[in-house]
Amino acid sequence: MRDEIDELIRSRTNGELPAAVENRLRRRLVEFRTKVEQRPPSRLHAFAHSLTAPPAWRVAAMTAALLMALAVGLVLMPRDSRASQVFAAAAAQLRNSQSLEYTIVLNEQPYVAVDFSYLAPGYRRIHCSWGIEVRTDGTTGRQIVLMHAAHAYLNESGKTVESQPNIDDFSAQLRSLPNRADVYLGEHWSGRQKLVGYRLTKAPPNGSIPGLKVLDIWIVPATREVHHVDITVQEPGKPEHRMHIRNILAGQAVDRSIFDLTPPAGYSAIVAPKANPSPASPHNALALQAEIRQTGEIVAAVVPMKGPYAQTPAALSTVRAYLKQQGTTPVGPPLGRYWSEDRWETGYPVQPETHVEAPLQLVSVPAALTASVVVNGPWGRDTDARWGSFLKSVLDQGYVPAGPTMEIWSGDAGQGTQSTEMRVPVTAAN
Amino acid sequence: MNDRQQEYQRLIAPIEERMMRAVWRIVRDPDDTEDAFQEALLTVWKRWDRICTHPNPHALILQISIHAAHDVWRRKVRRGRCLESAAIPEEIPDPAASAIQGIAAAEQDAAVFRAIGSLSNNQARAILMHAVEELPYDAIAAAMDCRESTVRKHVARARTKLRVLLSQLIPEVHKEERSHA
Repeated sequence: MRDEIDELIRSRTNGELPAAVENRLRRRLVEFRTKVEQRPPSRLHAFAHSLTAPPAWRVAAMTAALLMALAVGLVLMPRDSRASQVFAAAAAQLRNSQSLEYTIVLNEQPYVAVDFSYLAPGYRRIHCSWGIEVRTDGTTGRQIVLMHAAHAYLNESGKTVESQPNIDDFSAQLRSLPNRADVYLGEHWSGRQKLVGYRLTKAPPNGSIPGLKVLDIWIVPATREVHHVDITVQEPGKPEHRMHIRNILAGQAVDRSIFDLTPPAGYSAIVAPKANPSPASPHNALALQAEIRQTGEIVAAVVPMKGPYAQTPAALSTVRAYLKQQGTTPVGPPLGRYWSEDRWETGYPVQPETHVEAPLQLVSVPAALTASVVVNGPWGRDTDARWGSFLKSVLDQGYVPAGPTMEIWSGDAGQGTQSTEMRVPVTAAN
Repeated sequence: MNDRQQEYQRLIAPIEERMMRAVWRIVRDPDDTEDAFQEALLTVWKRWDRICTHPNPHALILQISIHAAHDVWRRKVRRGRCLESAAIPEEIPDPAASAIQGIAAAEQDAAVFRAIGSLSNNQARAILMHAVEELPYDAIAAAMDCRESTVRKHVARARTKLRVLLSQLIPEVHKEERSHA
């Protein structure tokens, strides 16, 4: 809508430009034009103008260049670079931490795990879920092996040098990660926590896991802390097995009492008796030499137990009676497997297709690398001393227990031919 | 044709007529028009690089021209020359009108320009660009380097003031005032 004020101004200013005035102004314009045409070019403004109003070909070229830079910059280089930085920082954190705690889950079901604790300058603790614990004080060269199920302990002094490397190697698995991973696995969400994964295709320099196929390390990028490690093991002739390292705590306060070498109250020392060996036993039971070998799978009908081990004969009678009632013949001598006094089982090996009913269970003892020794003599005699000596031999050979202990009882009491095979699955520490 | 010649052809050549006419319409005196035009060209020369990259260079050049003309007019008002020049219209004779009508028209022109001269610089520039050159608000905003809403405010306030100052020249306003009386 036209405003009357606008109309008034327009009507008062609508006069034509007189020719004489126009001529004068045109002369000014000619002078101005000459001046403009002789004006030196401004490179800065020309450049600015070319940026603000670039020709179409330049826009296309710049867009292509930007996209290329974006692809290289955001997708390839920084991703790899950032990933490398995160992994290197996490490895350095583990390497330089004064304390380190973590759990190796060897088997999920049934749960078989080992807790490791390390505190500078040389305190170490290995706590197995089946009740064996090794505490080492590297500063004095002493260590104590606790057998919680038997309430017994084995004290060693001055000989830890032999077994020290075995214990070190477990800590070394995490403490010697290289600065670069072999493969970047990408991102993964664990609940609300973002993790980034890296893969090592060979064991860390100072650590060794037999049959290691891959070591997947998952890191919290915000804190550069290792969240967990998945280990895939593929040994020749055996199915692929996955283990995990969890509950990793680096550089945090550790309860020093877990390294205490004082035996707990109520635990008895495993002492080598000086008496002559039993006639039935040609070998000294306290100088046992564990044999490391591959054992096959055993399928057994067992009854789950808890409480005193003195219940073993009664439990075996129950199993034997049930199998006889079912017309099933055991395929081997009776056995017992022990996690702790609160969890153990005993029974007879049977054919895999055997059907059992509660309270019996059909269980499988998997094929594994196993330390074993056969001790002649009455079943159940000097049990603590035998196991202390046997486990010491295992540690001295560079292995650590990797599962529940097992006993297999052979022979006949009436004929004086009793023998006990002691077994424990092991894993090499180097 | 070099870059500068191309720039002149792009920026000045298309609006030469409008520049000259805009200055003349406001100043209405041959010498003062030449002075104002020269001032405008000098300003354009100084701001040449900025004008080259301006989003609406023609509006900016017209704004510079109007501003220069308005400045000359204001100086003239302050010197008291406007009445004199308005009383003797040299270059806009109206052959069809009588001498009395010519003088009355010149007085009305002088009243309009005196009223515009009493406005603030921004209001005067905005109303002149809008009313004389009929530039749209967005072009005026680009030339004055402000928002379009600001230009609308300048124009609205200028109209309000001019409506009061020039009420005797607006028939409707005049009628309303008489009816109220």
